[in-house]
Amino acid sequence: MSQNSVEQILENQEKEFCSLQEQFKSIIAQLENKNTENEGILQALEAQNIKLKHRIAVLIESIEEEKAKRIEKTKCDVNDAVNISSLISPRTILTVAFVKAVAFVYPNIPSSVVTLVPTTNSKFGDYQCNAAMPIYQQLKSSDSKITLQSVAQNILKEFDGGEVVEKVEIANAGFINIWLNKNFLCSKINILVNQGCIPPPIKKRLKIVVDFSSPNVAKEMHVGHLRSTIIGDSICRILEYLGHDVLRLNHIGDWGTQFGMLIAHLQDMYPNYLTESPSVDNLQRFYKESKIRFDTDEEFKKRAYDCVVKLQSFNQDYLQAWKLICVASRKGVNVVERGESFYQKKMITLIQELNDKGFLEDDEGRKILWGSESKEDIPFTIVKSDGGFTYDTSDLAAFKHRIEEEKADWIIYVTDEGQGTHFQIMQNCARRIGFYDPTKVRVDFVGFGVVLGLKRSQEKLKEKNRQSVLTEKELDEAAESIAYGCIKYADLSHNRNHVYLFSFDKMLEDKGNTAVYLLYAYTRIKSISRSIQLNEDAIIRASKEKVVELNHEKEWKLAKVLLQFYDIIERITKDLYMHRLCEYLYEVATTFSEFYDNCYCIKRDAEGQIQEVHMDRIILCEATAVVIKKCFDILGIKALSRM
Amino acid sequence: MSADEILRMFCSAGLSEQKAAETMKNQNLRKRFITILNEAAKHKSLSECGMLYYHIASKLKPVHEKHIPFLVTYIAEKKLDNTQRLDAALQYLSSNLKDNVDVKAFEEYCGIGIIITADEIEQVIEECIEKYKNTIIKERYKFNVGIILQEVRNKLKWADGRIVKNEVDLQILNLIGVKTEEDVVSSIKKDKGNKSNIRKILGPIENNSNECNLSVSDVMKKLDFHKPGQNTITEGYIITENTERLLEEHLKITGGKVRTRFPPEPNGILHIGHAKAININFGYAAAHDGICFLRYDDTNPEKEEEKFFIGIREMVEWLGYRPYKITHSSDYFDKLYELALVLIKKGLAYVCHQNQKEIKGFNPPPSPWRDRPVTENLILFEDMRKGLIDEGQATLRMKITLKEGKQDPIAYRIKFSPHPRTGNKWCIYPTYDYTHCICDSLENITHSLCTKEFQSRRPTYYWLCNALNIYCPVQWEYGRLNMNYTVVSKRKILKLIENGIVRNWDDPRLFTLTALRRRGFPPEAINRFCAKMGVTGAQVVVDPQMVESEVRNILNDTAPRTMVVTEPLKVCIINFKEINITETIDVVNFPNNPERGSHKISFGNVIFIEKSDYKSEPDKNYRRLSLNQSVGLRYAGITISVINEIFDNDEIIELQVKAQPVNALIKPKAFIHWVSNTKLVQIRMYERLFNHKNPDDINEVKEGYLSDINPNSLQIMEGFADKSLETVPFQCFQFERIGFFCVDPDTTNSLLIFNRTVTLKEDSGKN
Repeated sequence: MSQNSVEQILENQEKEFCSLQEQFKSIIAQLENKNTENEGILQALEAQNIKLKHRIAVLIESIEEEKAKRIEKTKCDVNDAVNISSLISPRTILTVAFVKAVAFVYPNIPSSVVTLVPTTNSKFGDYQCNAAMPIYQQLKSSDSKITLQSVAQNILKEFDGGEVVEKVEIANAGFINIWLNKNFLCSKINILVNQGCIPPPIKKRLKIVVDFSSPNVAKEMHVGHLRSTIIGDSICRILEYLGHDVLRLNHIGDWGTQFGMLIAHLQDMYPNYLTESPSVDNLQRFYKESKIRFDTDEEFKKRAYDCVVKLQSFNQDYLQAWKLICVASRKGVNVVERGESFYQKKMITLIQELNDKGFLEDDEGRKILWGSESKEDIPFTIVKSDGGFTYDTSDLAAFKHRIEEEKADWIIYVTDEGQGTHFQIMQNCARRIGFYDPTKVRVDFVGFGVVLGLKRSQEKLKEKNRQSVLTEKELDEAAESIAYGCIKYADLSHNRNHVYLFSFDKMLEDKGNTAVYLLYAYTRIKSISRSIQLNEDAIIRASKEKVVELNHEKEWKLAKVLLQFYDIIERITKDLYMHRLCEYLYEVATTFSEFYDNCYCIKRDAEGQIQEVHMDRIILCEATAVVIKKCFDILGIKALSRM
Repeated sequence: MSADEILRMFCSAGLSEQKAAETMKNQNLRKRFITILNEAAKHKSLSECGMLYYHIASKLKPVHEKHIPFLVTYIAEKKLDNTQRLDAALQYLSSNLKDNVDVKAFEEYCGIGIIITADEIEQVIEECIEKYKNTIIKERYKFNVGIILQEVRNKLKWADGRIVKNEVDLQILNLIGVKTEEDVVSSIKKDKGNKSNIRKILGPIENNSNECNLSVSDVMKKLDFHKPGQNTITEGYIITENTERLLEEHLKITGGKVRTRFPPEPNGILHIGHAKAININFGYAAAHDGICFLRYDDTNPEKEEEKFFIGIREMVEWLGYRPYKITHSSDYFDKLYELALVLIKKGLAYVCHQNQKEIKGFNPPPSPWRDRPVTENLILFEDMRKGLIDEGQATLRMKITLKEGKQDPIAYRIKFSPHPRTGNKWCIYPTYDYTHCICDSLENITHSLCTKEFQSRRPTYYWLCNALNIYCPVQWEYGRLNMNYTVVSKRKILKLIENGIVRNWDDPRLFTLTALRRRGFPPEAINRFCAKMGVTGAQVVVDPQMVESEVRNILNDTAPRTMVVTEPLKVCIINFKEINITETIDVVNFPNNPERGSHKISFGNVIFIEKSDYKSEPDKNYRRLSLNQSVGLRYAGITISVINEIFDNDEIIELQVKAQPVNALIKPKAFIHWVSNTKLVQIRMYERLFNHKNPDDINEVKEGYLSDINPNSLQIMEGFADKSLETVPFQCFQFERIGFFCVDPDTTNSLLIFNRTVTLKEDSGKN
C-alpha cells in the first residue's frame, strides 16, 4: 500500500469522522430542542392539570351541595305531605316514605304526585302507589330513555317503608303494590283498644278562630244558620280533639240597616221607650212590621238610615233602643257573640288608618277600598255616603282584630257559599293594607250550599218499637240523640258545597248512610261484649295481654279501615270537608258488618250456650267501637250503648 | 310650551343663543332650568340674575331640587349675589341633608349680608404686595400671583374674585411696569419645560424649599380632604335618598374616626411607588388619629403566592406602620357573592357570553345578553359558581355605561384555579371594579385613596355602592410615583432574575422595598422622601438621587464611621518601634458628636491603604501620598513618607515608609484611612442598573430594557476592615472617605459582606 493511498484513507476517515461529529452535534441539538419543547408542553399540561383538578373539586362540591339541597327539599316535601306528624296510620307512613323517595330521585317533581290508594283486590296487596305514571308523563319529553318501569324502580331504590311493609312489588304500568306487615297492624289495633283514639301529635298548638252561625239579630234565624252552626261546631271539635286552642266566634249583624229600621219602628210604636221599657216579646212580628214599612214608606226608609248613622255615632238614645232590641233577640247559643257593635270603635280607628295611608278612594260620596292596585275586583264600601258603615267595614275590622288582638294563626269562616267573593276581597284588602300575611296566618272560607225545603216528619221517631228493651231513661236519651244526631248527621254527611234537600224522612232511615244506622251499628257492637258480661275494662286488660291475630281476611280488612281514621282526620284539617268523616264512619260500619257476618266472635251451641269466645275478635270489635265513638264525638252526636 | 318659547325664555334669562340651544338638548338641565325660571318669574328678577339661575340649574344635585324655591328667593333678593356665594350655598345643602334648612347657619355659611368695598380690597392687596415686593421685583412676571390671591381670599372671604384679580394685576403693573420682551420669552420657556411636570395641587403641599423637612404626618395634616361623614361635600359624590341614613350608620360604626386602607395585590413585591401609597394611607390615618387596614386584594388566585403576603406585611412594618387589622378581599367572598345576587335581582347585572376579544377596544359592540331575564341570569350565575361553565364562556357584567365609553364592566369571571385562602370553594372570582368599592364600604373606609389611573374607575365605584344601597366611601386620587433608571413591574423584574442580571427580588440594584432595605436605605429616609414628594394629582417622576440624598441625610446621623480599605496596598512602617505609638487607637463613631461613643482599632507596623491613595508621580494638585509627598493617617496622629517602592513585575505591591508624629511643623496636606489588623471583607459596589432614564421606553431603548444594562452595575471587591469590627445584618456604616455601606444578610462567620448604600457625595456616583 502506498503512502498516498494510506493518506487518502486517513483523510477520508478524517472527513467521515468530521461529518459524523457534525451529525452527532445536530442530533444532540435536536434532542435539546425537543427537550425544551417538551418542557414547555409539560408546563402547559401541568397548568392544565391544576385547572382540571380544581374544576373537579368545585364540581364535587356542587354535587354535595345539590344533594344537601335535595335532602332539605325532601324534608320540606314530607312536611308538606303530612300536616300533622302523625305516624299512626300506615297510609300516612307509606305516603311519607314515598314522598321522600320521589323527592330524592326526582327533586323537580312536586310531592303532590305521590298518591297512595287502598287496593281493591287483595291480590295486589294492601296499598298501591301510583306516582310513577305522572312522573313518567312529565319527564318523557326531556328524557327519551325513561320507562314507567324504570321510574318505579328508581323510586323503590330509595323507598324505605320500615316496619310497616311486608313486601313491595312493581306491577304493570309502574304501579307499586305494597303489602302491610301483619305485626305492625295488629299492634296498632291493640293500642286503639287499650289507649283509645289518642290524637296524633301536632307540631304547634295553634290559635284558631272559627267564625260561624252569624245570623242577623234582627232577622229570623233559619235552617241556613243551623247549617253554619253544625258545620262550624264540628270543625271546632275536630280541631280541639287535635289539641288546638279554638275560639268559637259568632259575628252577628246587630249594627246595620235592619237595626235602623227596628229603632225607627220602636220610636213610633213606643215613643217613650227611654223612660218605660217596652217588652218586645215577639221580635219576629216586630221585624216583619217594620220591614213592610221600610219597603213601602220612603220617608220611613230615610229615617231608618238616619237611625243607623246616629247609632253608629253612639248617640245615647239610639244606643238605648238598640240595647232593648238586642235583649229581645238574644237566644242561648254556645258561642262567644260579638256583634258588629263590638267592632264600632275598631272600625273608626281602621278608617282613620286607611285614610292616613291613603287607601280610601272617594266614589260619589262613598269611601271605597280596592283589594288590588289594578282595581279589578269589586271594591269594599268602607263608609257610606251618609257616613254609616257596612258589613264590609265591620268584617274588615273584625278580621284585623282577630289577627292583631286575638293573635290567631288560623281563621275559619263558616258561611254560605254566596259570601265567598266577599271574604276573598276582604283578604285582598287586608293584604294590601298590610296587616294580613297569608304565609303567617291561614284563612279558610268554609262555604256551604243553602238548605232547601223542609218537611217535618216526627212520627218516624216512634216507628220502631224499642220501648220494650230500653229503660225509660235510655229511651229518652235515645230519642234526644236520634233527634239531634239525625239532623246534624244529615247535614254533615253531605258535601258542604252542595245544595241539599232537607228531609226528615231521609235522615231517619235506618239503612244507608244515616245517623240512625250508625247509632244502631254502634249499639250492636257494644252489645256483643255485653252479651257475655264482659265490661270495657276486661277487654282493655285482654288487649294488653293478647295481640290480635287478624288471620281472617275480613279481620284484616276491618283493621285497615280502622287505622284510616287518622288519614281522614288529616285530610279534613286540610280541606275542612266534614262529610269525609261521615263517609268514613259509614265505611267502618259496613266493613264491620262484613266482618261480623263472616267471623264468629262468640260461638254458641243450639241452646245458646257459649262454646267458644274469640277474644281477639272481641278486641277488634272494641277497637271499632272506639273509632266510631270518636267520630260521633267529633260530629257532635251522642253515642248510645243501647237503643 | 313650544320649543321656541322655551328658547326665548332661556335667552331672556341671559343665555347666549348657542348656550340656550345646548341647554335645550340636555333634557334634565332643560327641565330643571324651566322649573327654576318659572319659580324666578314670581320675583321679577330674571334679567339680572339669569346666569345665577343657570348656575343652580347646572350644579344642583337632584336630591336638592326641593330647595329650588328657597334658593331662587335668595338669588332674587340679591342675597346670593355671585357664584361664589351660590357655590357656598350648594355646598351647605350638600353637607346638611335635612329637609329644613337652618336659615341662620345657612346665611352665615354663605356670607350673606357681608359687603366688601373696593377700598377694602385695594387696601388688603396693597399690604400683600408690600410683603412680597422684593420677590416680585426680582422675579417679575414669573412671580406666582396665586400666593397673593390666596392671601387676599383668606382675609376677605367674600370679595369678588374678578375684582380682586384685576386689582392685583393693576398694582403689580404699577410696581414693575408692563411686560418686557424678556418676560414673555422666559415664561414661554418655562411653559415648555414644565409641560410634563405640571402638578395639580390637591392639598396645599408643594415641594418648596422651606417645606423640605416636613414629616409625613405634617404633610398629611395639611391635606384638604373631607372630614369623616362629610362625604357629601366632596365634588362628584353622588347623593341618593339613602345617603343620609347610610352616613349616619357609618359614623356610628367608625365613631367619626378616619379609616383608610392600603390594598396591595399579593402578587408581587412592593416597590418604591408602594411606599408612597403606604405613607399616604397609613400616614393620613395616623395624622388624624384614625386607623388603617392592610387589605390584601387577593381576588386573582392565579398570581398569588404565600411569600408575597408575608413580604408585604414585613415591608409595611419595616416602614414603621402597624395595620389596625389585616384583612383580605377574599374574607368577603361570601358577602360579595350575596351582593352580586342582589345586583342581578335588581336587574343591574347580567351573565354575558361575549369573549374577551369582543369586549376589548374603544367601542365594543353592546352585549346581546344585556336584557336577558333576571331568572335566567340567576340560573346561569349559579351554573358559573358551580363549575358548569367553561372558563371564558361567561362573565357577570354590571349594567352601567360610563361616560368614558367603557361599557358594562365585568364583576365576576370564571377561573379554575384554587385560591390560597379559599381553596376549592370558588371558581368564580370578583374583579377589581366589583370588589374594591364593596370592600371599602364594608370596612367603612372614609377615604379611599388611590393613584390617578383609578380616576376612571370612580364612576363605577360610586355607582355600585349606590346600586347596592351600601355606604359609599369617597375616592381621592393622587399621582403615581415613578423612579427613573429602573423598572418596577413584576413581570420585568422576573425577567431580570431569570436572565441572571439581578440575583433576586431584593437585589440592591432594584427599587423594590426589600431591595432598598438590603441596600441599606433607612425606612425614615424613604418616608421622608415620600413626604417631600407630597400628595399631588400629577404623576411624579424622579431620579434616584432624590431619595439617595434623603438616605445620606439620615445616615450621616445614624451610621457610625469605620475605616475600610477596598483596594488594599500594603504599607510597612520601617521605623515603627521608634515612633512609640499605642497599638490600639480610639476612634469616635461620630466625629461631630464625640459623646456618641467610640471604638478601638489596632495599629501596627504593617498597614493597608487604598491603592488609589498612592501615586508615584502625581500631578500638581495631588494631595495624597506619593514618592515625594507624605500623607497623614487618620486617627493615628502620624504622617508617613515613602522610602521604597516594591514591585512585582510592573505593579507596586508594597510601600516602605517612615512614620513621624503629626505636629505643627509637619502638617500633611491630607489624611487617609487605613487598616492594620485586618479582616477580609467583600464589598459590593452598586451603580445604576440601567443606562437610560426610561429603560422600558421603546423610544429611548430600542432593544428593550434587557439590552440597557449597565455592565458596571455590580462590582465585587475584596478589602480589609479592622479585625474588631462586629456587625449584624442590615447594619449601616460610613466607611471613611468612601461611602455608606450596609451589612448584607449573606454575611457568614468567615466573610463579612457589605453593600454600598450610597456614595458620600451625590456626583461621585455618576462616573
